[in-house]
Amino acid sequence: MEIDYIAHTNELRNINSSIKFITAIFLMILVFIVNIPIFSFLIAFLIAIILLFLAKVPIKFYLKFISIPFGFSLITCVIMAFFFGSGTIIYETGILDIVIREDALVLAILTFSRTLACFSALGFLALTTPIAEVLNNLDKIKVPKVFIEIALLMYTVIFVFLEQVKIMTNAQQTRMGYNGIKNSYRSLGLLVANLFLRSLDKSEQLQRTLDSRGYSGELPKYNP
Amino acid sequence: MHIMEGFLPGIWAIIWYIVSIPVVIYGIIRIKKLAEEVPDSTSLLAVSGAFMFILSSLKIPSVTGSCSHPTGNGIGAAIFGPAVVSVLATITLVFQALLLAHGGITTLGANIFSMGIVGPFAAWGIYKILNNRGISPSITIFFAAVFGNLFTYITTSFQLAMAFPEPTFQSALILFLEIFALTQIPLAIAEGFLAIVIWDQLMKYQPKLLEKLNVLKVKISSNKEIAGDS
Repeated sequence: MEIDYIAHTNELRNINSSIKFITAIFLMILVFIVNIPIFSFLIAFLIAIILLFLAKVPIKFYLKFISIPFGFSLITCVIMAFFFGSGTIIYETGILDIVIREDALVLAILTFSRTLACFSALGFLALTTPIAEVLNNLDKIKVPKVFIEIALLMYTVIFVFLEQVKIMTNAQQTRMGYNGIKNSYRSLGLLVANLFLRSLDKSEQLQRTLDSRGYSGELPKYNP
Repeated sequence: MHIMEGFLPGIWAIIWYIVSIPVVIYGIIRIKKLAEEVPDSTSLLAVSGAFMFILSSLKIPSVTGSCSHPTGNGIGAAIFGPAVVSVLATITLVFQALLLAHGGITTLGANIFSMGIVGPFAAWGIYKILNNRGISPSITIFFAAVFGNLFTYITTSFQLAMAFPEPTFQSALILFLEIFALTQIPLAIAEGFLAIVIWDQLMKYQPKLLEKLNVLKVKISSNKEIAGDS
C-alpha cells in the first residue's frame, strides 16, 4: 500500500507523532467551529502546501489521494445545490423545474469546503504518521488497551493477507479463474473462504509467536 | 461507501459518536473478559478483524462491469456475533480512513453506527430467525448478507437526511434513499451471492472451523450454532 510507504518515508516522519495527531484533530475541530468556506479552503490549501513542500509527498500521489474524495464530495454537493433548499431561486435550469436556491447553494458550498478541509487534515495525519504510531496515541485519549492491541496486531496481519490475496488471485487467473461473471463469483468465493481458513491457521501461528516472546497483553514500544 | 470526512455538520458528528461509543465499549468489555479467560482469543480476533478488512477491500464483480466492495457485515456477524463485529468494524473503519481514505475521523461515529452496529445486528437477526426456522444455510446467509448490506445504507440515508433535512426531513430521506436504492440494491444482491459461495466453501471445512471458533462461540455470544447447524 503506497500510503503506508509514504507514511513511513516522508520528511515529517520523525516529528513526534503526538504533535501530528493533535494538530490533525485540532484542525478538524477548528474547521467545524469556524465553519466559514473561505477559512476551510485556506486550511485545505495550507495542508496541501505543508504536505507537498515540507513532507515532500510526491505531487502525483497527493493528487490521486485527494481526487477521489474531492470528486465524490463535488458530485454530492452539486446534487445538494440542485435538489435542496426552499429559499429564493437564483438560477433556473429550465429542465424539469430544477432550480438552484440560495440557501441550498450556501449549504452545498459550506459542506464541500468543510469536507475538503477535514479530508486534508485526515490526509495530513495519514500521510505523515505510520498507523502504529497513531494507534499508540489513542492510548492518551483513554482508548482501552485491548482495542489498541487488537488493532496493532490486525495492522500487521493485514499486509500478510494482502500479499496472500495477490498470490492467490494470480494462481486463480492462470488457471482460468475470473473468466465471466459466474466464474468470477466462484473464484472470489473460493478466495475468501480459503483466506478465512488460512487466517485461522495464521492466528494460531501468531499466538505462538507472541507466546514465545513473552506477550502478556501489551506490546512495549520505544518512545524517543 | 461511507460518509465522507467532514460531510456531517459538527453537531451530528458528535451525536453519532455518543450513540455508537456505548455499543463499542460493550463489545470491548466482552472482548476483555474473553481475553482474560482465553488468552488465545486476542490473536484470533486480530486475525478475524484483518479478514474483515480484506473482505471489505475486495471488489465484487457485478453485471454492469462496475465494481464495488462488500460490507462483510453478513458473514462477519454470522461467524463472530454482532457485539464482537462492532469492535472489529470500528478498527476496520479507522484503518480504512487512514490507509484507504474511505470514511473519516469526524464521521467515524456515524459510520460505526451504520456499518458496525445496525448492519451486523440486522444481518445477525435475519440469520438467527431463518436459521431457527430450519431454512437452508445458503438462503439464510444470502438474506443475512443482503440485509446486512441494505440496512447499512438505509441507516446511512437516515443519518444524511437527519443532518440535511432540506427542505423537510421526509423529502431529503426519499432523495437519499432513491440514490442509494439505485446503486445499492444490485450490490447488496451481489454480496448475497458472494456470501453463498463463501459459506458453501466454509461449510466443507466445518469440523475444522468449529474447532477453531469454539472459543468465540461459547464465550462471546449466546448463538450456539454460529457456523454450524447446517
